[in-house]
Amino acid sequence: MGGHLNINHLIFLGQGALWTIGLSVIALIGGGIVGFVIALARISPLKSVRIASAVYVQLIQGTPLLVILFLGYFGLAAIGLQVSPLAAAGASLTLYVAAYLGEIWRGCIQSVPKPQWEAAEGLALSRTQRMMKVILPQAIRIATPPTVGFMVQIVKNTSLASVVGFVELMRSGQIVNNSLFEPFAIYAIIAVTYFAMCYPLSLFSQRLERRMGRGRSNLAPA
Amino acid sequence: MTKRTFLGAAVSACCLMLIAAGPASAADLLDEIMQAKKIRISTDVAIPPSGMMDASMKPTGSDVEVAQLLAKDWGFELEFIQTTGATRIPNVLTGKADIIISTLSVTPERAKVIDFTKRYATLQSDVGCLKSLNVKDWPDLKDKTIGVSRGTTQDTTLSNMKDKELKIARYDDDATEVTAAVSGQVDCVGTSATIINQIGVKNPARIFESKIPLATFDLAIGLKKGEQRLMDKLNAWITENVKNGKLNAIYKKFHGVDLPPDMRS
Repeated sequence: MGGHLNINHLIFLGQGALWTIGLSVIALIGGGIVGFVIALARISPLKSVRIASAVYVQLIQGTPLLVILFLGYFGLAAIGLQVSPLAAAGASLTLYVAAYLGEIWRGCIQSVPKPQWEAAEGLALSRTQRMMKVILPQAIRIATPPTVGFMVQIVKNTSLASVVGFVELMRSGQIVNNSLFEPFAIYAIIAVTYFAMCYPLSLFSQRLERRMGRGRSNLAPA
Repeated sequence: MTKRTFLGAAVSACCLMLIAAGPASAADLLDEIMQAKKIRISTDVAIPPSGMMDASMKPTGSDVEVAQLLAKDWGFELEFIQTTGATRIPNVLTGKADIIISTLSVTPERAKVIDFTKRYATLQSDVGCLKSLNVKDWPDLKDKTIGVSRGTTQDTTLSNMKDKELKIARYDDDATEVTAAVSGQVDCVGTSATIINQIGVKNPARIFESKIPLATFDLAIGLKKGEQRLMDKLNAWITENVKNGKLNAIYKKFHGVDLPPDMRS
């Protein structure tokens, strides 16, 4: 107990940071794919698909991430299915992110001005063509800021994965702090590390918006 | 609802599910461990001085050394299962770990969901205050704020003393509680003697000492219910190592005091 911050502690924190990044990437890729399907299902012409996806979104959005993680790890084990912390955390975060991104993207798709939909239909484009060539390219522009905002939140929410025995950045900081009793130094390092992960995301989003924003005025309602 | 009470509720819910599901595996845990030649032990490495990391980030502490001694004596490979205080019990209930060695106090509530071996150590906790404060008995604590770690047995014990009109400040863990004492946020803390002494090490201007004994808890190894053979083997191991003094040596190394005399005799 006691002692001073040394290189081994920093390496340990670095490993925790890598796990935070890894978990975030899994959550965003998995959640992005499932979320895209959810977004399309929410505006499906089939009523049953719309209802099913809406129930999924409401169910997940109404449940704390901590509970989903807990059930994923201990709940599945209780019924005889052993999952590793990584699998449980990855799957839980994917489910969670998908519900939110699905809903964010549905809103973005639907906020593409109505005349654009009608014009695409007037050009005799099929449903798939209309989506891929007209609606989605415009929806992506609208979706960029809220998607990145949510991504930044997820990077920080991965800290909850410590509940399933996952040693990510926050938990590794807690472990180091409980050996050294130097909270100011350690939590300052952690705060800076989280910032260093999240700020580039925001910068990237700004650049993306600027680049894709070009010519946006020409795409106003037809 | 705080994060911790919420977790407690979640743990209980999980346990109920398990009880409802009944004993799923008939296989004997001891046989499984022998076959795997590996014992998986759930130990929290963020509760000094029982579990912590040394300067080269290797687990160390009294519980860590007890676990290492057990694995060495039995000739098994040792795997530490990362856990936090709240997930120690779910880990063994769901088969993620074989046993718990992690300052697990024996309480009647816990005994409903897991089995305990005999005690391998005790946890003495005190109310410690600034050395200069004149505190002799409970009435002297009336206007003072006592810092504790949230959800620990010290927190529960002090919170139940409703008639003593105590003011309690709950912190996330021991490290935060020590920081509160070092920085002058609180002048009294309810924790183990080892932690109380640690405050003066961090800030020589604010030396704390134990003032009033709070409670002594038996610490035992926790395991899933109904594993009688493993339980017998663990109990025999504890008896032997209490007798040959090895458990006492580990305890003294990290806690600075011997195990209580009634345990050693």
